[in-house]
Amino acid sequence: MGIFASHIGKAIGHPSTRVLTEINLKIEDGEFVALTGRSGSGKSTLLYILSSLDMPTEGKIEISDRDIQSMESEELHQFRNLKMGFVFQFHYLISELTSLQNVLLPTLKSKREEEKRPYAKFLLEQFGLKEKFHRYPRQLSGGEQQRVAIARALIMDPQYLFADEPTGSLDTVNSEVVMGIIRDVNKKNKTTVLMVTHDPDFANQAERQIRLKDGKLESGF
Amino acid sequence: MIFLAIRYLLERKRQTLLTLLGVFFGTMAYVSVSGFFLGFQKFMVEQLVNNAAQIHIQARQDYLETHQLDESFFPHLFKHVFWVTPPSGVLGYIEIQNPQSWYERLRADPRVEAFSPLMMAPALFTLSKISVSANLIGCNPVQQAKVTSITDYMVEGKFSDIATGGNRLILGDELMKRLGAGINQTVLVSVGTNVAVPFKVIGRFLTGNRGADLQAYGAINDVQLVNRTPNVVNEIGVRLKDYTQAAAIASNWSKIAPERTESWDQLNANIFSVFRIQTTLRFAMIMTVLIVAGFGMYNVLSMTVNQKRQDIAILHSMGYDTFDIVMLFFSQGLIIGICGSFFGLIAGYFFCLYLQTIPFTSLTQSNPGGHLHISLSLSIYIQAALLGNFSVSIASVLPARSAGKLTPIEIIRTGG
Repeated sequence: MGIFASHIGKAIGHPSTRVLTEINLKIEDGEFVALTGRSGSGKSTLLYILSSLDMPTEGKIEISDRDIQSMESEELHQFRNLKMGFVFQFHYLISELTSLQNVLLPTLKSKREEEKRPYAKFLLEQFGLKEKFHRYPRQLSGGEQQRVAIARALIMDPQYLFADEPTGSLDTVNSEVVMGIIRDVNKKNKTTVLMVTHDPDFANQAERQIRLKDGKLESGF
Repeated sequence: MIFLAIRYLLERKRQTLLTLLGVFFGTMAYVSVSGFFLGFQKFMVEQLVNNAAQIHIQARQDYLETHQLDESFFPHLFKHVFWVTPPSGVLGYIEIQNPQSWYERLRADPRVEAFSPLMMAPALFTLSKISVSANLIGCNPVQQAKVTSITDYMVEGKFSDIATGGNRLILGDELMKRLGAGINQTVLVSVGTNVAVPFKVIGRFLTGNRGADLQAYGAINDVQLVNRTPNVVNEIGVRLKDYTQAAAIASNWSKIAPERTESWDQLNANIFSVFRIQTTLRFAMIMTVLIVAGFGMYNVLSMTVNQKRQDIAILHSMGYDTFDIVMLFFSQGLIIGICGSFFGLIAGYFFCLYLQTIPFTSLTQSNPGGHLHISLSLSIYIQAALLGNFSVSIASVLPARSAGKLTPIEIIRTGG
């Protein structure tokens, strides 16, 4: 179980530039792992490869004992829909939809909108957005937008939460709030969290830190 | 995904409206222009079918060819005959050879609704010092009324009255004017070198077609007498139960009798070539409008795909696959196509109803309103809806496919 990566490498572009070399790691279920390193060290690339959004040039990824590369596209999308949540540096909320509709967007794929509606409200309330169900993203502050985005990532009760610099565009207060939520999710829901960050304080809040340097693992694997 | 597609459309109200208008005007133009042309064509065909006989059986007149008589005169040498003055002239008959056999054939044929034997002759009409040459048609008024719609065009008098007494005439409006004649006046009618015979004018008809109005109708036996050809018939007009079969029946008959048989559509082949040009023009015009609408759709949707790259990325990360993304954008095209063509059809229909009230042709008995003839046939509306949706669908497929091909990682890494 968990996420298991062996001999991962990634090269991009023509002529090819090597981004990742010989990555071997294992992340157990329920772990809270921070991926750190300088910018350009390949930490985001590794996160996207481990989360199936990007494909490695070489090596093998297993998530919950399933070989990601050998899965059919439809199966992989299904898997992502049910098992994974994503939080990015930017909220990427759909500007035409209200907070509540944005949170419920993943449930439409598996036609569970009505079933999940109370949970969506519960999540938003928990994140202090009780009054903002029907606000559009442009009517929310940056911190509120990011909290809606986290609620959206959690609506399907995913087994894995992938976060790429989730506090990257937030001020200190909002960053603390968001980090608190992520820690809570890991503790209470036993969700496996893999978070990319370059902030040492936030990295320290994780159970384990994996450090990347020039596309190679430096420590923590 | 439809619900998100609708949100996208509503968010860009002005662009959506403009694209919608493109499809709207395209389908509306198709409906009204097709209605106009098809209505006109139908009107023309009705005129052709009803005003004259649908099949004309005429005495055949061929021209004598140079070597046609060689064998008769020089049976042994006929391949080597050279004429100093080649034989020339008209070959054939000025009358239908065996009208009785035709009558029997026509009576027995279930496809024939009615027929009317005619004696037609070019005649000179004289009133005091004015002479006008025109076609004199001798007919049995009861039979003729069944074959053509001449009775509808009567302005004065009754068509059937030509047979109630001797030497009575009904003149076309144009002929009446040229002669300066009036009802109950007597005109002299002469054919060829024969002595002129007085006829009494008892009626007037007006078809609106000047050629047809320069004719006169009389009873068939009167005309035969004026022409000094008693019992001779040189044309039989036939009306069929189904006029669309006319060409086939006419060519069939031409094989079994020496007479020339021609159907209404063979006689008016030039009009049908005009119809074909109209049809081509109509499609070219409408396709232009719809292609422009298609380009508009393509443009708007391509822009949307570009603006919504982040949305596409996030939808991918949520587990929406390529098909879902393609449908998200393609359905926007479909919605615009369906709404635009729906409103276009309705507007086109009402525009057609309005066109019908516009005065157009001269007022005649057969066209009492004198309005534009507009077709409201269902097939026009089906075609318009299909064309409208087709052009927009084609235009939406390409941007939708390019949206489907976007991979989330490209978008997220470049920050949108």
